[in-house]
Amino acid sequence: MHDTKLSIGGCYSLLLILAVTIGLIEYGGLVDQQGSLLLTLSFWGAIIQGAVAVAAVTALVRAKWIASLRRELLALYPLLLLLALLFALLWPQLELFPWDNHPTAWLNRPFFMGRNLVSLVLTFIAGRQLALHSTQGTPFKDRYAVIYLAAFVLSQSLVGYDWLMSAAFPWVNTMFGLYFFTESLYAGIAVSGLAMLLYFRLRIKAAPEQTTLHLRDVGLLLFGFSILWAGLFFAQFLLIWYANLPEEVHFVTERLSHSPGRELCWLFLISLFLAPFVALLGGDAKGDLRFVSSISLLVLAGLFAERLFILLPAIPYHGGALLLYNGLIFVMMLLVLHSSERLLPQAPPERNEGQ
Amino acid sequence: MQNTSSTEKIEQDVLAAMSWPSRSYLACIFLAGLVFLGGMALWGRQIALGMGVAGISHPVGWGVYITDFVFWVGIAHSGTLISAVLYIFRAHFRTSFNRAAEAMTIFALMVAGLFPLIHLGRVWFAYFLFPYPNQRQLWVNFRSPLVWDVFAVSTYMLVSLVFFYIGLMPDLAIVARRRTGFTGKIYRLLTLGWIGSSQQWRHYAKLYFFLAAFATPLVASVHSIVSWDFAVSIVPGWHTTIFAPYFVAGAILSGTAMVITLVIPMRRLLRLETYIPVEHIESIAKILLLTSLIVSFAYIVEQGLAFYSGNLFEMEQFRFRAFGDYRLLFWIMVGCNSVLPLTLFIGRLRRNLAFLFVLSLLVNVGMWLERFVIVVTSLARDFDPYAWGKYTPSLTEFGITAGSFGLFFLLFLLFIKILPVLSITELKER
Repeated sequence: MHDTKLSIGGCYSLLLILAVTIGLIEYGGLVDQQGSLLLTLSFWGAIIQGAVAVAAVTALVRAKWIASLRRELLALYPLLLLLALLFALLWPQLELFPWDNHPTAWLNRPFFMGRNLVSLVLTFIAGRQLALHSTQGTPFKDRYAVIYLAAFVLSQSLVGYDWLMSAAFPWVNTMFGLYFFTESLYAGIAVSGLAMLLYFRLRIKAAPEQTTLHLRDVGLLLFGFSILWAGLFFAQFLLIWYANLPEEVHFVTERLSHSPGRELCWLFLISLFLAPFVALLGGDAKGDLRFVSSISLLVLAGLFAERLFILLPAIPYHGGALLLYNGLIFVMMLLVLHSSERLLPQAPPERNEGQ
Repeated sequence: MQNTSSTEKIEQDVLAAMSWPSRSYLACIFLAGLVFLGGMALWGRQIALGMGVAGISHPVGWGVYITDFVFWVGIAHSGTLISAVLYIFRAHFRTSFNRAAEAMTIFALMVAGLFPLIHLGRVWFAYFLFPYPNQRQLWVNFRSPLVWDVFAVSTYMLVSLVFFYIGLMPDLAIVARRRTGFTGKIYRLLTLGWIGSSQQWRHYAKLYFFLAAFATPLVASVHSIVSWDFAVSIVPGWHTTIFAPYFVAGAILSGTAMVITLVIPMRRLLRLETYIPVEHIESIAKILLLTSLIVSFAYIVEQGLAFYSGNLFEMEQFRFRAFGDYRLLFWIMVGCNSVLPLTLFIGRLRRNLAFLFVLSLLVNVGMWLERFVIVVTSLARDFDPYAWGKYTPSLTEFGITAGSFGLFFLLFLLFIKILPVLSITELKER
């Protein structure tokens, strides 16, 4: 079993191979509709950056919640580099964006690629430093947690404003930055819920009381974030509905007036709010591994449906490519989680402090 | 034995604050009362002479009074944040602040509630606002955010009051035990039969947690709804989706600053240094820093997206805010709310109480100006240049605003002599 674990060099090599493979599929004439890459990036960007961000936040506020999983979440940092590599592949596809024919001071090819690449690379560097210092317990871990979170907010805001909102240019929504980095944190907690499924049995033997408490905390955070998400979602669409301005409502009506937008909308509303809220309302459900992990999976599915809902009318995509890219990155994530001991070899001091 | 003496000491130390008032305390009461009465006199003058004594006029129909309303509702936010949210998250440092913060919430809401009445002008017609059956065929417009405001603020007030009172009950029993005579009877009556049995404690813990969980979403909902007073309109600078979280973060920023403003002098005057350690104040300072960063993020997004959109009216509005008639206020606002709090990244400054006290005052100046800039600039520069105008607040408006601060501080000063300023039972647990 030990042999299947990746070393740090092996992990980076595999990431490079993955990026090259996706590049070859995208530009090797295998897909006719480009757009799957952007969708994949926006989805996995939220998950990977969010998972590391959750670890950073909990380290910073000395939270004992999910302390059992902090190390696994931090071990995902090499995947932050994959986001930067895949983003670089987007350069020839920028014609998908409506502003490409009429560039502005903010929305033009070099600046768009430049600022996003810088933010993604910065997130990777900060995430790597955070992971290494955090697991070694150096006094710099708080500093890197702050730097990572700043880079994370910048990067996810750019995901919101540049990748998703500008696909519907000139439609504007000031909430998008805040909405997407909050959603990314929600995704990070959902990843914790899934990781619980993988590690619960292992941890419960060593520290039964702590692990049970941490599972309950993950459930509580999922429940809390489902309300927060609903609040933000409602706050932005209330204003669009209330003002009823043609230049604003067209974004919503275009997506809701026909299938599959309508179905996707119901799907993500149920997955990101209704289901977690109802299922985790009871105290016992929050401490039930099956409940927490199923809801986590549902939240991630809802996140994917939402990204599809936002990008679908604006960006064409190839179903097969979309499935393949997401499958490959999912397998890569599992491999990284499986190899977390090798990627971050030293035990975190926080685990012993967990309550 | 040692345990008994330490709990005894906690009771003595906290209740010592409720002893006979000193001269300096009476001087503070007198000053706050005088400022409050001055504000009341000016309100009386406004009622007698009409709204002409206020500076609000076409096109700026919402001025200092609405600014004050939004400001005071914002101040009310931190009470529940510190008490309820931090209780749910098991943050132990809340015990240093929760009682003062909850009281602050109630008093700030009481002050905020006055401003819609003051803004009405003919306050004797305030009953027109209530949906009672009458021959006027009154039908409340539930699509108006002003109606949502009434429900949101009154719900918040009710829940905050119950939360405050429930939290007080075990402490009131302690006060009743230590007081004799008529005051003892009053406190005993206020305990509602609390005897501290294990059954009562079990119910108390459940109810307190339930109220904390119920109050937490209210923190977000109230100021979101206040923000929608502006955002649902299509006025440039107001109609923006980020307003709800931006207002909530701003409210927590100003509320946290007010908690610091109140607690630092209180800690020293009442000799509560042992129970309000510097580390706890440092934790509150971190919340101040975090909310300042969120508010700064919103400033950048608002300005940036106005120019991103290419919308002429939005671009002009945000140019006007930064370089127009109210530019000085705008830049003071940015300085106080975004630049100065960055100093809190330095750990030494987070632990410097004198610095924190001054900073909290400046943040509240900045937050008041933020509300003023939002309210006034958008009305002063609407779509049509023909209807543009300039608003200068009158002395009456400033006087009534000062009076509201007088009322707030008067109520808080009375609170620290009538009720325990720290949660004795939670301190014993700690």
